Amino acid sequence: MATQIADIAPRLVELGLGEGWKWDKGSWWLEAGEDFDLRATTAKLVALNARFVAITAIEREDQQIRLDYQWDLDGALLSFTTATRDGQISSIVDLAPAADWVERETYEYFAVIFTGRATLLPLMTRQGDAPGINLRKEPNPEVAQ
Amino acid sequence: MSYRIPIGPYHPALEEPYKLDLTCEGETVRDAEMTVGFNFRGIEYLAERRNYLQGITLVERVCGICSNVHSLSFCQAAEQLAGLEVPERGLYIRVILCELERLHSHFLWAGIAAKLIGFKTVFMACFNLREKVMDALAAISGNRVNYGMNRIGGVNRDVTDPAAVLAILDDLETAIRDIVNPIFLDDKTVASRSKGVGILTREQAQAMGAVGPLARASGLAQDLRKAAPYAAYDRFEFNVPVETAGDVQARLVVHALEMIESCKILRQALNTLPEGPIHTLPPAGAKFKIPAGIAVSRVEAPRGEVLYQMVSDGTDIPKRVRVRTPTFMNMATVRYTVLNQELADSPLIQASCDPCYSCTDR
Repeated sequence: MATQIADIAPRLVELGLGEGWKWDKGSWWLEAGEDFDLRATTAKLVALNARFVAITAIEREDQQIRLDYQWDLDGALLSFTTATRDGQISSIVDLAPAADWVERETYEYFAVIFTGRATLLPLMTRQGDAPGINLRKEPNPEVAQ
Repeated sequence: MSYRIPIGPYHPALEEPYKLDLTCEGETVRDAEMTVGFNFRGIEYLAERRNYLQGITLVERVCGICSNVHSLSFCQAAEQLAGLEVPERGLYIRVILCELERLHSHFLWAGIAAKLIGFKTVFMACFNLREKVMDALAAISGNRVNYGMNRIGGVNRDVTDPAAVLAILDDLETAIRDIVNPIFLDDKTVASRSKGVGILTREQAQAMGAVGPLARASGLAQDLRKAAPYAAYDRFEFNVPVETAGDVQARLVVHALEMIESCKILRQALNTLPEGPIHTLPPAGAKFKIPAGIAVSRVEAPRGEVLYQMVSDGTDIPKRVRVRTPTFMNMATVRYTVLNQELADSPLIQASCDPCYSCTDR
């Protein structure tokens, strides 16, 4: 990408969004530590008029799911990297309604339980379908090697 | 007394399959519930079981309207992982494809909006103009829908005759200025069906993470082409139309003005198309390798922001491909926009969000 990326890390620190921001391949990243408070950070981002973009779930080898919470702040993409504990994480829907469909989808694809919300109604699947579509392991026989 | 009207998943009032349960009192909508997933194909699951080349073909089929932005987002993510620089001419051609795609998507939207307003002459005019855009796309790529233009490292085909595309653009721009926009911007019948109808406030748009023309019609001035430029967008002069009313009329205005801006970008890109290669080639005999890592790519599709996150473990097959589409964020706003509106206006209100269920369901 030819476009120069402005260094907004000092501003993110100033806004109280944590320290250790790094730009890498399309996003500003913050590896959330043990003391990371997802809900407090969400409330802060909402107060800053940041736009909720997505949650990206990635399967880890320790059976937990890495979760990248992505927000747009004045055109800059911020990704907070955290993970489930025992397959669960707090819901942020009451703070950021935009996360509703994303949490429901993440449950269906990766069986992540979002605690503290009323329901996880099916979105793409149908009532009774088992969650965790993307955790299935069968290979695709058609794939070209 | 209230009553419930189930609409869909297959219904004449809907352009695509989804289900809307409206609770009404008399002719007024008091509540709405939405069911989606009728087009679910498991694209993210499938993308993790195909190699990168097969992945381009797969993601181009996420959507039949904005197919190009999906393959572009996918390729941009892979290029970041591989550290590949796309040649300048390739970047310009990507912009040309993106803006032609935006034009044909906006003409489609304008035609459907006109039909739902009851202005079928404009529907015919918009679809006629859309054909001209698709002719231009077919002349460049050989295809009308899935163009097969993007590859990791650039584009597959050159724009060999920019003058021919500019000639089509002259006709389009004249028709937009003389036929389409006067009706959407000034006509009293259109205003009577759209002004004050289906309002999405700025606060609601912000809370729901709305994107694209829907958000811009509610006063949110966000456009990745300006805020986080990709391809060659930072080389061109253009405006981002923003309206504040948040109603169907504001969405009409934003779409109408965006078509003019797309023409402006296309004219600049076609007139200043640089010489040179259209893609990066690996050294003779070598293969592109996608090293392990994570990359994110965002593109401003006709309906708003598309996000791809790609995770590579260094093999030929991506470990994870995340696809977040604009309608996935926008469609949940319908619950707000149809509330306390006339039942008869609900098809137009839904259509004014420019829904794409192939994108939403993936």
